[in-house]
Amino acid sequence: MAELQELAAVLSQPFMERALLGGLLTGALGGLLGSFAVLRQLSFFSDALGHSALLGISIGILLGINPTVVLIPFAVLFALMVNGLVARSGLPADALLNIVYSSSLALAVVALSLVESYSGGIQQLLFGDILGIRWSDLAVIALLLIAAITYLALSLRAQVLLTLNNDLAGAFGVSTQSHRLAFIILLAVVVAVSIKAVGVLLISAFVVIPACAGRLLSRRFPLYVLSSSALGGGCALLGLLGSGLTDLPSGPCVVIVQFAGFLVALLLSQLGRPAATA
Amino acid sequence: MSGPPTHGEVLGGEPVLEVSELSVRRDGQLAVEKVSFQLARETDTALVGPNGAGKSTLVAAVLGLLPRQSGTVRILGQAMGPSGALPRSVRTQIAYVPQRLELQGRIPLTLAEFIGHGFDPPGPRLPWAGGRQRRQAVAQALERTGCGGLGERLLSELSGGQLKRALLAFCLVRPRQLLLLDEAQAGLDGPSGERFHQLLLDLRRQEGWTVLQVSHDLEMVRSSCDQVLCLNRRLRCSGRPDHALSPARLAELYGSNVVPYHHHHHHNHQRAGNRNEHHG
Repeated sequence: MAELQELAAVLSQPFMERALLGGLLTGALGGLLGSFAVLRQLSFFSDALGHSALLGISIGILLGINPTVVLIPFAVLFALMVNGLVARSGLPADALLNIVYSSSLALAVVALSLVESYSGGIQQLLFGDILGIRWSDLAVIALLLIAAITYLALSLRAQVLLTLNNDLAGAFGVSTQSHRLAFIILLAVVVAVSIKAVGVLLISAFVVIPACAGRLLSRRFPLYVLSSSALGGGCALLGLLGSGLTDLPSGPCVVIVQFAGFLVALLLSQLGRPAATA
Repeated sequence: MSGPPTHGEVLGGEPVLEVSELSVRRDGQLAVEKVSFQLARETDTALVGPNGAGKSTLVAAVLGLLPRQSGTVRILGQAMGPSGALPRSVRTQIAYVPQRLELQGRIPLTLAEFIGHGFDPPGPRLPWAGGRQRRQAVAQALERTGCGGLGERLLSELSGGQLKRALLAFCLVRPRQLLLLDEAQAGLDGPSGERFHQLLLDLRRQEGWTVLQVSHDLEMVRSSCDQVLCLNRRLRCSGRPDHALSPARLAELYGSNVVPYHHHHHHNHQRAGNRNEHHG
């Protein structure tokens, strides 16, 4: 009883209200984009983007510019550069992304070690600080969610065909190149904006886990997208509540709830599956 | 080559597809060189040639999926832009059946949903627009391709033959004029291949499609196509199949290792290929 009162007291704090709303919106956004990213085998791409964000932040700190201002253009440029490299180098995408993300992580850590005052903040960068989220951050995330829903809903046919087969999409009138770039830019912006709340190490979990759970539970595409998004938002809310109750770090709590949700989805999908599948 | 190549005769009216002096580079190599041909309305044309002859590259360039190095492509009288752009009214008249449909990550998409996306025109639109009309068109397309009971199946749950018929349903779900197939029967076993071929013939007649299909089945080409284009980077011969597929021309196209073989369904076929092997 005392614990519940304590939780109620914590929840009524303005910072916690902002954190819950931020978690809900970031989780829903991650699940929404993740539902397409996972099918297009861009999971590792979002991970590489997350790690590169640390380099962007480091550059901002070194140059004395607000890292948040640097982060979005850096992430977009980085995403376009990596996309171009994957297309032109002829190397396997996962190998190339591995090179990119480990190198950018190494560069970022070296850069951060040069800035004495920032050595204590590395934990926040790696695991996020959703409790420190501001109303202005929330406004940006909400706008981004609206933009992502609008774009993906209006171009659903193009997105589905593109996910299915590039040539099929192109032959039936989908502007494949521009939709691919638009999606990658959107993913980069979402990763950049979510880094503050979620952290460099956990951002890919927000993109990948709810989408995989949604995939296990859905047989129709719109339902898959909606359930991925709902699972993303729902798990973030539950994880933050758990964090408030246990005083454990918020970002990892959310990811643990996402993982539990994935395990439940896996169990449900196996229970509902006929013995022999086609 | 025995005699000059004919580049397809248009029997009347404007050609549906007109390719002129088309050259295409792929992976740094000139894969298609100065190819010209025309497809007359409601005709069935086969594109044949050895592996690596540029057949798929030619189809991709005609669809606007690959940039052209030189030459022009006109579809229904409209010239294709340098980046493959066509007016939407023309683009909606084109259908395509790829060799393989990669199901990335086992996409959770039912067959009926997939066919529904074939009904919708390109461009931004609300996902729920035109619901009833779309459902009717999808149901008809599924029925006509023998996929009537499969609408709620996931694409990943379909067999190879069902998936190929589903692709035909995707083309069929709205009226179109030009259908391009890139080795559509590849990977199908004998009965599935026969069924697909018969379905394609029936639908072509009913819909009045003009067809360009890449094929290795020369017997099928002889028996059902109006025109054949023999490609090995350049157009080596073209015309009516009985004329263009003479032994001398085939030997020139494929090399001397063209071997007769018998399919397991006991039709005497001529197979062209790079392998010196006898079947049956």
